[in-house]
Amino acid sequence: MRYRPVLLLSLALSAVLSVSAMAEDAEDAAPPRASLKQEAVPDVMAKAVDDFIRPGYRDLMEGTESLAEAAHVLCEKPSEETLGDVQMTFDEVVQQWSTIEIVRVGPVLDGNRFERFLFFPDRKSTGLKQVQRILATSDETATSPDTLKGKSVATQGLGALEYVLYGTGAEVLPQEKGGFRCRYGAAIADNLKTIAAELSAEWEKPDGIQKAWKNPGPANPLYRDGKEAATELLGILVHGVESIRDQRLRPFYAGIIKGEPDKGHPKLAIYWRSGNTMPALSANFMALQTLFNAADMQALLPKEDQSVVSAVNYVLQAIVDDADQIDLPIDEAIADDDQRALLNRILQNTNDVLQRLNLDFGAAIGLTSGFSFADGD
Amino acid sequence: MAYQSIPSDKSLTDRRTFLKMAGAAWAATLAPQVAFALSRAQAVYASGFRSPNGAYGVALLSEEGAIIDRMPLPARAHGMTYSAASNRAVAFARRPGTFAMIFAPDGSAEPIVITSAEGRHFYGHGCFSGDGRLLYATENDFDGNRGMIGVYDGSNGFARLGEFPSYGIGPHDMTLGADGHMLVVANGGIETHPDFGRTKLNLDHMEPSLALIDTKNGSLIERHVMPETLRQLSTRHVDIDADGKVWFACQYEGARNDLPPLAGSFSKGEDIRFLDLPEETTLALANYVGAIAVNRRDGLVGLTSPKGGAEVTVDARTGKVLRQTVLADAAGIAPAKSGFVASSYDGRFGGTLSDVAWDQHIVRLG
Repeated sequence: MRYRPVLLLSLALSAVLSVSAMAEDAEDAAPPRASLKQEAVPDVMAKAVDDFIRPGYRDLMEGTESLAEAAHVLCEKPSEETLGDVQMTFDEVVQQWSTIEIVRVGPVLDGNRFERFLFFPDRKSTGLKQVQRILATSDETATSPDTLKGKSVATQGLGALEYVLYGTGAEVLPQEKGGFRCRYGAAIADNLKTIAAELSAEWEKPDGIQKAWKNPGPANPLYRDGKEAATELLGILVHGVESIRDQRLRPFYAGIIKGEPDKGHPKLAIYWRSGNTMPALSANFMALQTLFNAADMQALLPKEDQSVVSAVNYVLQAIVDDADQIDLPIDEAIADDDQRALLNRILQNTNDVLQRLNLDFGAAIGLTSGFSFADGD
Repeated sequence: MAYQSIPSDKSLTDRRTFLKMAGAAWAATLAPQVAFALSRAQAVYASGFRSPNGAYGVALLSEEGAIIDRMPLPARAHGMTYSAASNRAVAFARRPGTFAMIFAPDGSAEPIVITSAEGRHFYGHGCFSGDGRLLYATENDFDGNRGMIGVYDGSNGFARLGEFPSYGIGPHDMTLGADGHMLVVANGGIETHPDFGRTKLNLDHMEPSLALIDTKNGSLIERHVMPETLRQLSTRHVDIDADGKVWFACQYEGARNDLPPLAGSFSKGEDIRFLDLPEETTLALANYVGAIAVNRRDGLVGLTSPKGGAEVTVDARTGKVLRQTVLADAAGIAPAKSGFVASSYDGRFGGTLSDVAWDQHIVRLG
């Protein structure tokens, strides 16, 4: 029975009781609904933490350590080779961040860490102008991570570092020993290393957030029961797909509009300067699939609904495969018939997987509130 | 009027863009359906919904919860408001949405769709002026990170007249005070930006408040911030009782095992007073009240929680809980002839079960 009086603290007004009576009548008409397998939730949450989130932040921490090291070597021994090392480690950090950034809950939202790591989109080029101003004025306060962290979030993360490495004037990097541009880039890399280390440390604390994720219950500071925990986990997937579609894909290519392909806005694509647009998008979708499977979210499903798992996997894999085939610079990819067709299919499949996760999977595990996620409205 | 003005052709331009975006087929469905006008006149409530096929709309309902008519929407709606004086209802897009549809519940006029101004999005709620001529909407100046109240002219196709501050971050619900000259705004205190979807960006430094604003010039009459220990108590929904007292309901972003106050009231010129709910009621509401309604005639305050799956009725005079029921996925609540009617995400509306998912709010039409 899902709608029943549980407590009558005082004699209710007779009219109120009539509403209650109506509710009782409605009970007869209620269709059978899946109920959440509460007992399966702690294991799923534990796997999400131990097999996806913690490794994800550990990888990011290690990747940013390598990036910072490479950046300092470049400043001390500038050459095409040491610049190549920085660019390669930058690409790796983009992959690592694009994997774990789907987790937009917990410590990454404290102290503006998310925006400090990646400020995107920069719609009015406000951040770009701030970075250019730092470079134009050789603002020495941007070359120390201690003072850089107090500046605009747009000047201290991946976007700023990408401009330092690939933007106008980057040709000085392999030539100037201890040059300003290089030292600013190294300070950004140090800042990223610090943020990644903080994030990993927060998730590694045995009594910290991982304990809360693994043990839903009345005394838990995050999830009072399995339903709240499962809602959060599914919310990461659903909101992740929505965010990638709305903030990463559509701004640079909106698909077919009134029968005509969108002309596109390639400079609104993330990481377009470094050619990381599609690798980052691919990593985003791969991360969603990895989390879905690593957490064994299938365990939350009743036997008769297991097919939704293969459907979700099939569509996510199709998106990743298509994204990996788009290998032209993003402006050329939009103009190319074959590559644009892949972008169109990615957009279609993104909508498809969103429905499958939000409606099909959510309903099958007993969360009709997949409709809302009760997330602040 | 001291509103910050917006070019007068802006709304029209936006509407054209919006209709182009939404598609002519959808716009065509907005034509008044004369055949339904008579039955529509029986409608007592309106609420947003999602159909089994994933389409969104607004439904008009009878006192018993039977669906009388449905109108399609291009995306999900959230809050609603109604003016008996002008016989117009409004469905606002869910944040960070950019449209609001204004319609005559009896089908006597063609619906009007407005879109938010450049650099603004709707927060999902709004209200009419006492004479029904002006429409106020809570909006986000997302680059300025400040809440705004957009003002729209009902005598001119709901063109945007201007705006004034909400005196806080993240304004959500808003209602007209009993004197008809004051807006009551729940500034939830949570920073969001459309670039980050629905992600809450400042949970570690929230600034929730309740603001009373003079409708004549948009000036602040008074503002109530949450106590220092309750800075993560987001004030989100409001209603007014028969004595003109403001009732507010909250969603707590702090530790889940805290037991914060979740609702309260105040009169103009007085301090806020939290409802001292029994622990079992606070637990049932799961630190998250999704909707609040006042039944002025009966002197009752109704609260629903989708997170806790609960509906609670409180005596407005004594603050005592009169009734607490389990209602899985509880969504909206509105005054009924007696007591309240509540809805749920899984299709319940009072005693009726429909094949739609009801959205978070219900508005009573007259």
